[in-house]
Amino acid sequence: MLSERDYQISPIVQESVMHNSKALQNLQSLSASLFGISAGILGLESYSGFLFYIFFSLLTSFLLYTTHILSASSTPKGYKENKNVTGHKGLGSGVTGVKRYFRGGYEFWFGGVGNGFAGFVLTWTLFYGLVRA
Amino acid sequence: MTWISKTITVFGGLLLAHACYSAQEHAALQSFKAAATSTLTSSTPAASSLPVDIAIETIVATLITVLGLVLGTRPLRPIQWRVWAGKIEREGEEGFLGNNGEVEKDYMGNPFSYLESRPSFVDIRKQRKEFSQWVKNGGSQGKN
Repeated sequence: MLSERDYQISPIVQESVMHNSKALQNLQSLSASLFGISAGILGLESYSGFLFYIFFSLLTSFLLYTTHILSASSTPKGYKENKNVTGHKGLGSGVTGVKRYFRGGYEFWFGGVGNGFAGFVLTWTLFYGLVRA
Repeated sequence: MTWISKTITVFGGLLLAHACYSAQEHAALQSFKAAATSTLTSSTPAASSLPVDIAIETIVATLITVLGLVLGTRPLRPIQWRVWAGKIEREGEEGFLGNNGEVEKDYMGNPFSYLESRPSFVDIRKQRKEFSQWVKNGGSQGKN
């Protein structure tokens, strides 16, 4: 947990935080409804349905990690030569991984499980009822 | 970039709709069969498990749609001020393109740009020289 002083030393851009969490929540609620649809089609019941949901939302986070975070936080071009000079990595490229885009890893990896849960249950029951009418 | 993700999403959605329809037909057929064969016993028709091809189609459709949605997510922005400002300083508007290749609407511009326009640092003599040059040239070609 960062203290007030840490925030003064390395400030945070609120607009970027909101932009990122909005994008993440958008993806999570959409994909949770989608997982509800497929769980309903597959006819999953009780624990297997919840396990399906948890597995697929973690998979979504992983896909987002590989496509949006791993690719973007590589060392920017033109600053590679800085690396070998004094051991530092070049301007502003010191923060990599999830920490570059989100406050903590928990929000990124497990936030989706809570965010889309209601949508998941809604579409799950709806499609279960539709298919097995 | 955006049409790739949209195409993938729509394709996955079509697969999912097909799987849904197949599963529904399967359930209807099963209940019809059960009703036709076991009218005497009048037991509730046992829910037979889904055919494996429909299950596979559903899972594959889900994966494809999720891939499309993930690819369609807008690019994330660095939250640390120094990383964010460094990215703007290095890449400018290029680093803040949306999925459709245009600069995002809430892009604020360089946070250091006010340093370039401080009135106390304006070289007034140089500007006066440029202006007199411009007047001498007839005032039509613009600054040299």
